[in-house]
Amino acid sequence: MHPPDTQAHCFAEDSPGFGNGSLIDENSGKGTVALETITLTINDKVINCPSGISILQAARREGIKIPTLCDHPALESVGACRLCLVEDKGGRLMASCVTPASEGQVLKTDSPRVLAHRKNIVRLLLAEHPESCLVCNKGNRCDLRAIAASLGIGETNLYPMPHARTMEQANPFLVRDLTKCVLCGKCIRADHELVVVGAIDYNRRGFLSRPETVHERPLEESTCAFCGTCVSICPTGALSVKNAHFVGTPEKEKSSVCGFCGVGCSLVLGSAAGRIVEVNPADEPSTVNGPTLCLRGHFAHDYLHSENRLTTPRVRKNGELEDISWNDAVSRVAERLLEIREKHGPQSIGFLGSSKCTNEENYLFQKMARAVFRTNNLDTSGMAPARAVLEEIKGLKRGRRSTAPLKDLEKTDLLFVMGVDPSHSSPVLAYHLKRASRKGIPLVVVDPREIELARFATCRLQVRPATDALLLNGIAALLREGVNGRRYGDGTTSLRGFAEHEKQLASLDLNEVCRLSGVGEEALERTAKLLRGKRPIFVVGRGVFHQKACRDTMKALSNLSLLTGDTGSGRSWLYAPTYENNEAGAWDMGVSPDTLPGGKPLGAKAFRSHWERAWDVMLSPDPGLNVIRMIREAEKGNLKALYVMGENPVRALPQPEYVTRALENLEFLVVQDILDNETSRVADVILPGAAFSEKMGSFTNMEGRIQRFEAAVPPPGQSKPDLEIINLLLKEMGQASLGGSVDKLRKEIAKLIPEYGDLPSSAGEAWVREAESEGTDPQEEPLFFPIPELKSPEHDDAFPFTVILRSFRAHLGSGTRTSRSERVEEKGWRGEVEMSARDCESLGIRDGDRIRVVSPHGAVEREVKIETGLSSGLVVVPRAFGDNDAMNLFPFKERKESNFTGWITCPARVERRAR
Amino acid sequence: MHEQSKEFELTAEEAAALDEIAGALGRFGQERGNLIPILQMVQERLSYLPPRAIELVASHLGMAPCEVYGVATFYNQFRFHPPGRYRIKVCLGTACHVKGGDIILENFERKLGIRDGETTPDREFSIERVACVGCCALAPVTVINETVHGHTAPSKVEGLLLGFQIERERKEREDKKHADGESQDH
Repeated sequence: MHPPDTQAHCFAEDSPGFGNGSLIDENSGKGTVALETITLTINDKVINCPSGISILQAARREGIKIPTLCDHPALESVGACRLCLVEDKGGRLMASCVTPASEGQVLKTDSPRVLAHRKNIVRLLLAEHPESCLVCNKGNRCDLRAIAASLGIGETNLYPMPHARTMEQANPFLVRDLTKCVLCGKCIRADHELVVVGAIDYNRRGFLSRPETVHERPLEESTCAFCGTCVSICPTGALSVKNAHFVGTPEKEKSSVCGFCGVGCSLVLGSAAGRIVEVNPADEPSTVNGPTLCLRGHFAHDYLHSENRLTTPRVRKNGELEDISWNDAVSRVAERLLEIREKHGPQSIGFLGSSKCTNEENYLFQKMARAVFRTNNLDTSGMAPARAVLEEIKGLKRGRRSTAPLKDLEKTDLLFVMGVDPSHSSPVLAYHLKRASRKGIPLVVVDPREIELARFATCRLQVRPATDALLLNGIAALLREGVNGRRYGDGTTSLRGFAEHEKQLASLDLNEVCRLSGVGEEALERTAKLLRGKRPIFVVGRGVFHQKACRDTMKALSNLSLLTGDTGSGRSWLYAPTYENNEAGAWDMGVSPDTLPGGKPLGAKAFRSHWERAWDVMLSPDPGLNVIRMIREAEKGNLKALYVMGENPVRALPQPEYVTRALENLEFLVVQDILDNETSRVADVILPGAAFSEKMGSFTNMEGRIQRFEAAVPPPGQSKPDLEIINLLLKEMGQASLGGSVDKLRKEIAKLIPEYGDLPSSAGEAWVREAESEGTDPQEEPLFFPIPELKSPEHDDAFPFTVILRSFRAHLGSGTRTSRSERVEEKGWRGEVEMSARDCESLGIRDGDRIRVVSPHGAVEREVKIETGLSSGLVVVPRAFGDNDAMNLFPFKERKESNFTGWITCPARVERRAR
Repeated sequence: MHEQSKEFELTAEEAAALDEIAGALGRFGQERGNLIPILQMVQERLSYLPPRAIELVASHLGMAPCEVYGVATFYNQFRFHPPGRYRIKVCLGTACHVKGGDIILENFERKLGIRDGETTPDREFSIERVACVGCCALAPVTVINETVHGHTAPSKVEGLLLGFQIERERKEREDKKHADGESQDH
């Protein structure tokens, strides 16, 4: 369930409208509020409420409605629109949103005087407003129109003075028609307080004032990130979503969960005529995103109606894909897979589940693989999720709570962010971090690039790639040196490995650390000083998990966290963001070669027999092949068949040509997907699946929040929800009893995976439950890891540069879906390679030149953009552009192999193409 | 509303002044309360607030540039265009207003293709509206640099601008002659 500490003060936490003001000091004792109850009278009703809230909040708690245009529970109240006027006993009129409720007040919200004034305000607003309601996008959802109607204002009887301005619609995302603006300032406050970007503010004054960018530039020339939060929050038609062609206004709205990144924002999908035409945040205080969303969530869901959707089952006949019926497709898949298993054994078939499909689907998918085909060749193509690394290194899981709400980030001592650029990969996480920083929580940002978050950092460490572990050990050594008589707590000194670790730190050559990591000693010292006496939360992303030396870095992080005294208080010391909507769920459901559902090791007999009893089958104890090995075995001809559900390995994995060749070498490839893609093009059978908006299911986000959703529109054409497809297959194979409806599977999952006990409950939020303690495993106890010796990073003169892969906010993962978004495509981002001015100068490269980035394994060709904040020697290549050709640069290797470079950096050289 | 304002390229002097300003910012604390004194200091040195100065100030105070711009545009004292060589100030005080000062302003705006508060791209002319300049008997009044032009009428606007143009052309001719004369000497 929701962690109790956030429940207790829900009014202070969730309605900071007034609470952020002086009356409640949020920083004192983290939300502890003196709960003094006061009594007042509103509309002859005596009510009790806690002190410190506004009259408006007090009235709302009692269900008394007061109209407002500028108020929003998640924003600080400013009293801009004055519609929320109330009258007190003495006849004073006051704006209820900014007036604190106090003892003994006697208030009227609809006295004749209040109504007269309120009507005048609305008349004045309408006199300045264009009479364009008939053709306005906002239509019946306009707050101004609703309020005018409720007050019975048709004609204003005032001289109309519309403030005409040019409509801005050059960008493909939103239309800004500031003629319709009522100056409520919600967009400005959302921009400053919620997403912390600062692209717009009021300009000028009086009648001329409008929310504008600096120098009234178009939005795309400002710092606007097109998160669309302002569009959803705008009470009038001043800001609206842009559609390339007429799609209609929503006829129906349905709650759902975003299908892009691991944050799992709650959405409201507006549909018309079976199409999703609008996406808005659900805007509930308990959700992870509140009223915010990001560019992808708000605007890129138009991929759902892309013409590349797969809508009929297809089969390859004489080399060509042809449409066939569902019956034929399903029987063909069942027949061929069973035949191959008979002939070549269970190890010859592989199954790729999906970090985009639902928990129920992934559960049934792996159940089919394990119970019917008796194979553990199960994986997703999201390479080496963070969880795998955490499982791998014993002792790292210490104190990791399975649920860790992002809200908690805004209530900690210190945030230490490393190897993640959340502004692009998971924007809502970035909003939480930036808000935390604005609240005064110190923020340390470690990244080789100058990421957007670095602007908010108290300490910014621009570390050289692959030297993170070194840097962390350096900080640890300074933490130790500068203690000035401070002793570590008993909890720390009695831990295994403490003495050796101390000794190693003492002999660490700090000058060498600074030289190798490229971080100045002064910055290092400042960071150590900042860390002293604090219990940081480490937010660690792909930049660490996908690097070659990931294990060293994670161990160094763990050591550092232990030194700060965090020996597993139960509070999470580590946040590892997931990058796809159900990465966590797919893992939990057991789509992994060596773990069972619930994340239990396949090798342990006790866990295996739990599932054997439940499914009434014998399970293979042999660990299966992971995705890298499956592809390699396919290329060698040992893997004969592969069933891919909702993944695009050709685009996501390194060396696309090699992967394509391997897949072509299979005897039988089944692709179950929603979009025509690089992998489906080489399939033998294509089964058209349904997107999240077209089916029922649940996703588990990076917080451990299990979010259920239902279909908003039917699947297009003949496509079917993925669960239905797997059920059809099971039935065809005479195993229908293994499958079942979503409800049946939810109950089964809840029964068999205790952490998912809340999955089937029909109401309220569900969270991944705390794992039951299975006795204390000495291996799981916190310990200090030994520090590896200082080593200079390898350097190859033929490849003097280091490529760093970065995310870009419009695209997710390899971009299979987002590159099908009309809006994103229309914007025409080109995915330029970033280089430092110094390197460009020495190579004679000008801004906008075409260059070729060549690694030992492949090359990409792009335009170059000179980036001022970038260190020389780095070449930053964005993912997902140009069919995600950036993956050409990386070798097709897995972590344990030699010559593995990681999936985030690699050596390269740069060649200029002819101008 | 304002057309999108073109960014003026900084003159060498202005660029130097901007560097000085960057140094001078250190004298001010980083509290937001210092914003207006800082903007006044910038305008004193540069006569206007170029976009780069706004960025500098914003980063000094840890504010978003649009917040700085929002505050600066609130006050009439701040300019966002460099003053022209000829600063045309059209009076719109009570008397001038009654006598059609707005027509005069519009005439200047139309002739020069800029709005009040703006400057021509060649930095020759800028137009401002001012409140009473204290010679209401001469309404409508226009002040160009330090010269007061009373009883301005649309035809006079044309005459004034023509006068400036003729003067400029004559000066150019003289300069040319002077330069030619010099080159003949050598």
